[in-house]
Amino acid sequence: MKLTRHRGVLEEFWKNFRKNKLAVAGGLIVLLFICLALFAPILSTANPVEQFKSPSGERHPLPPISRSDDGHLFLLGSDRYGRDIFSRALFGTRSMLKLAVGAVGISFIIGVALGAVAGYNRSSWIDELIMRFVDILLSFPALVLAIALVGALGLGETVIFGLRFSNMFKIMLVIAITYSPRFARVMRSVVLQEMSEDYVAAAKVIGASGTRIVVKEVFINTIPPIMVQASLMMAETVLISASLSFLGLGLQPPQASLGVMLNEARDYLFQGSWWYAVVPGVFISLAILGFNFLGDGLRDSVDPRQARRVGR
Amino acid sequence: MMREELLRIENLVTRFYTEYGVVQAVDGTNLYLKQGETLGIVGESGSGKTVTAMSIMGMIENPGKIENGRILLKGDNLLYKSEKEMREIRGGLIAMVFQDSLSSLNPTLTVGEQIGRVLRFHTTLTPHVIHKRVVELLEKVGIPEPTKRYGGYPHEMSGGMRQRVLIAMAISCNPSLLILDEPTTALDVTIEAQIFELIEQLKKHFNMGIILITHDLSVVANTCDRVAIMYSGKLIEQGSVSEVFKRQLHPYTRGLIRSIPRIDGPVDENLYSIPGEVPDLINLPGGCNFAPRCAYKKDLCEKESPTLAEFYKDHTAACLRVKEIEYAE
Amino acid sequence: MGVYILKRLILAIPTLIVASIIIFLLVHIAPGDPVRVMLGPIQDQVLVERLQQKLGLDLPLHEQYLTWLGNLLRGDLGISISVQRGAPVAELIAERYMVTLELALLAMTVALLIAIPTGILSALRQNKLTDHISRVVALIGISIPNFFVGILLILFFGVVLLKTWGAGGFVPIQEGLGANLQRMILPAIALGTSYSAIVMRMMRSSMLDVMSKDYVRTARAMGVKRWSVIRQDIVRNALIPVVTVIGNSIGYLLGGSVVTESVFRLPGIGNLVINAVYRRDFPVIQAVVLIIVLLRILVNLVVDLMYAKLDPRIQYTSSE
Repeated sequence: MKLTRHRGVLEEFWKNFRKNKLAVAGGLIVLLFICLALFAPILSTANPVEQFKSPSGERHPLPPISRSDDGHLFLLGSDRYGRDIFSRALFGTRSMLKLAVGAVGISFIIGVALGAVAGYNRSSWIDELIMRFVDILLSFPALVLAIALVGALGLGETVIFGLRFSNMFKIMLVIAITYSPRFARVMRSVVLQEMSEDYVAAAKVIGASGTRIVVKEVFINTIPPIMVQASLMMAETVLISASLSFLGLGLQPPQASLGVMLNEARDYLFQGSWWYAVVPGVFISLAILGFNFLGDGLRDSVDPRQARRVGR
Repeated sequence: MMREELLRIENLVTRFYTEYGVVQAVDGTNLYLKQGETLGIVGESGSGKTVTAMSIMGMIENPGKIENGRILLKGDNLLYKSEKEMREIRGGLIAMVFQDSLSSLNPTLTVGEQIGRVLRFHTTLTPHVIHKRVVELLEKVGIPEPTKRYGGYPHEMSGGMRQRVLIAMAISCNPSLLILDEPTTALDVTIEAQIFELIEQLKKHFNMGIILITHDLSVVANTCDRVAIMYSGKLIEQGSVSEVFKRQLHPYTRGLIRSIPRIDGPVDENLYSIPGEVPDLINLPGGCNFAPRCAYKKDLCEKESPTLAEFYKDHTAACLRVKEIEYAE
Repeated sequence: MGVYILKRLILAIPTLIVASIIIFLLVHIAPGDPVRVMLGPIQDQVLVERLQQKLGLDLPLHEQYLTWLGNLLRGDLGISISVQRGAPVAELIAERYMVTLELALLAMTVALLIAIPTGILSALRQNKLTDHISRVVALIGISIPNFFVGILLILFFGVVLLKTWGAGGFVPIQEGLGANLQRMILPAIALGTSYSAIVMRMMRSSMLDVMSKDYVRTARAMGVKRWSVIRQDIVRNALIPVVTVIGNSIGYLLGGSVVTESVFRLPGIGNLVINAVYRRDFPVIQAVVLIIVLLRILVNLVVDLMYAKLDPRIQYTSSE
């Protein structure tokens, strides 16, 4: 009777992870972005909303490595209002990650709770009810559901049942609601799989109470698959929040947001101000890439047979 | 009938280079088979019997490699053949039937298409003739309503019927050698008997040589002419079925025969099983591979590796203590 | 077969009803009164009440829902309150859905043309250079948001290649297929990039799965030619799960087309719904979301039918 399988699970997971080049690369990119977000106030060269004057005879947006009238160096160029793109990108990254972490956190809590309840009460009416609802929510394309939710709640800050929500928190909620069904699905299947393992049966025989089984034995073994899901979900959340901002439905100007920057840049493409669009685009893409590499690598670490499978 | 030699394997060595180490899957096997004869290869899983068969077929894939030896089919060394030549030999001169009949058939092609394409690759027959031949083959292997079954899919058939389809596919180009890898493990006993009856019939009809791979000695007793026993990549005993069942030279063979349930034995008798486990093929100890499980082990057994030696006419064994064990009985 | 389709359609009804309730509640529990949105700066109480009455907004929620549902069933999707005030929503959608549909289908075509061959190649050369490169490229493809791909395409074709490509603007199909395709191909590529990467990865792993199957070994043991094994045994069986993924991800394409339409300023229903969100045009939001969900459910049904065609093991339940 192996009641303490979990240590092995996590160790194995970590060992496999370190061997996976893609996962490590993804982890490093993610780490870099976390640092950029945390230290944005230190790393930035200007206030993200400060508007610099262009030198006489020139008009914003100015290309990378050019100077404003009063000598400020635009590392990655300036935008249409004369703001520093590098600093705006850093603060944009900050709010993007804040949003994504918040959204994944909330949907994780909702999803895991629903999934665990459904999985533990397998085939009961609770399970049936929860999963039906989850399935129906899943038939909404994610972005469409998010747009509809924003449509319902309105742009900017909002009041729901007398509670005032900041725009940021509202978007977090919108994305969280959009993604919690997926977490619920994953969590349920993980719980079901774990419940059928020998050691759970063994724990039941010994007489541990139902709740303790779920919490102690199952929980630890669900960490690896949940981490994979969380990482992939971060990638999706970043994508969807950037999409919302790009559409003008997410973070609102003048707050620095990568999606909004891209949206503004559209009008300046044909005059050749490529940096205006490329900088925020590369920031968004790299962040998503990091989470995708990480999630993908983590997945291979959970199921090394998949990665190692030989054959032609 | 004069029986010509069909297949001879000399000193075959097949290894797998995995990331955990080198697996000695087949280690110096010697075998021969005459036309119209059935040879049973017996062993536990991992003993190298399937790898031996795959080596004959030329289907050892990366990270596996045939490192030494000769495989002579009618005197022609198969190890010198190109992949293209081997492809013609597979399904033509040699055919193989695998154990699980459901997973061994393509679920999305009809039975007729699957047999027909084997003919298409090995003959120059027209599609019309091929269709006729396939129906004949289905009839020959005892499938009722062959015309109707031609367009059916594998999942619509029973396990026994599917195994017949696989056999039909295998004999479609009149092979000289038919390899059967545990052909009846997935089937129940009555169906098993029917399949072996069919194989016996076909063997006589086509004068094929058959290699039957199995872990079940009782099947060998009923169907084979000769038997070869493998243990952890090595051939440890070989001889005619009557010889081997009369006197077992190797302690492992002795254990295997003792573990066959007997109809005339007492009902409550516990079945004998050989103590211990199959050794890890990566870290083989020196000496005889069976020594750790052997009741007759001496110190010498852990140092010296035994080679096959002929003790009686057409009865060889690889054990250092054959003589002593025989007298001990 | 007919009975099977009918059965599936009937099974889809509860899903649709619940989805419609969710959409309805979403918009009606929301803060802000649509009437006040309609009236804008004029906030006269009498006017508000009269309008509420006219639109049925003074009725209890469940009655409002039933009225809405009843109207839907008669093909009445409501009246736009702000995007194009007074215009029937059905008309607004009818003018635009072709653009979205064309974009999604073109994107899918482009994506599949790239994804399926690459996935096959990648699997056949597993762990060789080709495989590594295509896997990393696929991951990068998944990671770049389609609006950024679109902007890069505009930059490249519209700006760097000296405006040889009419990247902006839209020409309806009726005014010439060539001109229309010229305007639609970049948006289709932008939308199809990440989709193609998803399908490619799926195809690859499905291929690898099938390649380890016993029937592939059997085919080889019978001397079947390599190309024939690849085609008849591996690809044929590997496609089955991929078809499901293609179907399930249609929602992804529809969602993505909203953004792509915005990048290329295409007059599709994506643009319509975003406008509606800006102006809080609830009837339009409701109708568009519902139609997208309906479309998705229908596509899933079509995919299931295709699935049964590809995989003979799936039987339609007999009509007797």
